[in-house]
Order: sequence, then C-alpha cells, then structure tokens
Amino acid sequence: MKAWAVFFDAPLPYARGVEIQERLHAARLADQIPDVVLLLEHTPVVTLGQRGRHDGVRVSAERLRALGVDLARASRGGNVTFHGPGQCVLYPILRLGSQEADAHGYLYNLEEVAIRTAGDFGIRAYRREGKNGAWTDDGKIAAIGFRLKRWVTLHGMSFNVDIDLAGFDLIIPCGLIGERVSSLQRLLGEKSPSVAQVGARLAHHFSEICGRELDVFRVDKDLPADLKPLFA
Amino acid sequence: MNVPTELRYTKTHEWVRLDKGVATIGITDFAQEQLGDLTYVELPTVGDNVEAQSEVAVVESVKAAADIYAPVAGTIAEINKKLMDQPELVNSDPFGDGWLFKLRPDDASEIDMLLDADQYEDMIPEAEE
Repeated sequence: MKAWAVFFDAPLPYARGVEIQERLHAARLADQIPDVVLLLEHTPVVTLGQRGRHDGVRVSAERLRALGVDLARASRGGNVTFHGPGQCVLYPILRLGSQEADAHGYLYNLEEVAIRTAGDFGIRAYRREGKNGAWTDDGKIAAIGFRLKRWVTLHGMSFNVDIDLAGFDLIIPCGLIGERVSSLQRLLGEKSPSVAQVGARLAHHFSEICGRELDVFRVDKDLPADLKPLFA
Repeated sequence: MNVPTELRYTKTHEWVRLDKGVATIGITDFAQEQLGDLTYVELPTVGDNVEAQSEVAVVESVKAAADIYAPVAGTIAEINKKLMDQPELVNSDPFGDGWLFKLRPDDASEIDMLLDADQYEDMIPEAEE
C-alpha cells in the first residue's frame, strides 16, 4: 500500500496544520488521494484536546500571548499539550481497517513508532500501563492524541527532540500532575540529533509498522503540481 | 476477531441488531480495539430524528476521539445510560452490555442493505497472531 510522506521545512502555525489536515482528510475520504503522513514542527502553541480543560493551563491567556504562545482547541482525544520548534510532529491521515496492518490497534502502532525511533538514538523508551505515549526514565518523550472521522485519522503524535521544555511548564501535560517531560537533547546533550534526522526515522518506522510504502516529498521543494492546492 | 453472524455492519464499524422494529447499535470488537480503553461516551438525546450517516455520538479513549454514525435514518428510542459511569463496557462487551443507543428506523428494510458478517469481516484486517 502506497502513501505519501510530506515534510515541512519551516515551523507551521497550529491553525494552518489543522486546515491542511482537514483538506487532506476530505480528499482521503473521497479517495482522491492515498494515505498521507505529514512531518512538521509547529510554532509555539498550547492545545486542549476534545475534553481538555482550561485548568490544565497554568498561566493566563494574556501571559501566553505575551510569550508568543498560541492557545488552540483541538478535536483530538487527550488533554492539554505543548508544541513548538524542536518537536517533531507526525500527522497521519490514514484510512484504518481496510485490509491493512492495523491489527494491534492504531494507538499501539504510534507508540511503537516513537519507541523504535528513540531506540535508534540509544534511548530506551517504553509504554506505561494506563498512560499513553512513549516514556523514558527521565519522563515522557512522545505524546499521542488523535481523532477518527469516518475512520480516517487526524492529528497524531509529537516527539520531543530539542524543544525548549520550559513550554511544558505552562501546562499540566496531559493532565498528569507530577509527571516529567523529556527530550532527546535533555537525554543526550550534545550528541542529540536534529529534528530532520528524527523525522526521517519516524517516517521509516511508521512505514514499517503501519505497512505503508512512502513516497517522500518536501512541501516547498518537490511537491507534484497536482498536490500543491492541498497544501496552499 | 469476534464478528457475530446474526448482526449487520457498517463501513464505519458500527453493528446493528434489529428486534421488533427497533435497531440496537454499538461499535464492533475491531473498533473498540483500535480505540483502546474508553473513558467517555457522548450519546444522542432520546427523540432526536437522525439521518443515515449523520454523526450521533462520540466515543473517547485516553488518546482518541471517534465519531459514531447512524447506520440508517430514524428516531433515537433509547440510550445506554450505564455507559455514563461505565464507558469500559464498550471494551469488555462491545456486542452486549456495551451497546450505545437504540433507534426506530424510518424504513427497517434499509438495515438489510447494510453489510453482513462475511462482508464486514472481509473489510477488517487479519489479525497478525
């Protein structure tokens, strides 16, 4: 099964990411395009999931604005999280359950992508019972939250590479009090890889675990002409 | 994967059981497994008129939110109130105590046009084990 992987070079405002995902979702539902996975970074933003509550945000809306951090509600499952440059975001727009390798469950598969990617850089990451995402001994390294509309996925996973972890102090990540958030840079110091290196490994493991052979594009460089309107 | 043969199915992974003119609707074993442990179920209001394929409920697990669709047009006759306190029933017994809502179809014969168990089974992935 073929799918597209589309990499973005510049950090994308959250609202733009939602707009592009919704366009791709509609096109995927209409079978105009194959499954797609987006790999990108966001400009700083705090997002609240479907049932995320404002008390998961520790500072006022004014304070966020002053810090240059957007605040957005997201239709994904899960609670509150933070995105910003230095974090690799994976948004798969996949049709689940049409004779493909989803037998373990989509959530399990996304966790597996994060765990194997961390492993590529020498970090042991693992699942924790009752707490989704990928965890290290130093805290959570990848967060997951997604939406299914007509069983085509939206949103996905974020993986911390060298994001400024102070952004997570603005919130109670995932509503879990007292849980730490980590990043590859915090764990590896100077040996930490770039976001681009991590993005390539995430795409590789996604391809294997979710059973999609990827055609890779860069949004500002080699996107075929007929795809450009979807990303305009 | 458990797919009871006496039920009808939709491409969006709902199941339908028609009994004395009332259709009971839930999500399949495949669907609950994809979503993981449910934490919240938002159900329609009894008396609502719903169109076929319209969004009538939302189920949420720790990390996923999924829309649930009416398989056929009709009137919501009953909702499974137990799910307010025990959404996990959908995981433990998706075809039984984990039913979501009942609907009185405008035209019960539309249910015959839904997928049968064989057709539905062809649509879902093979287990890897």
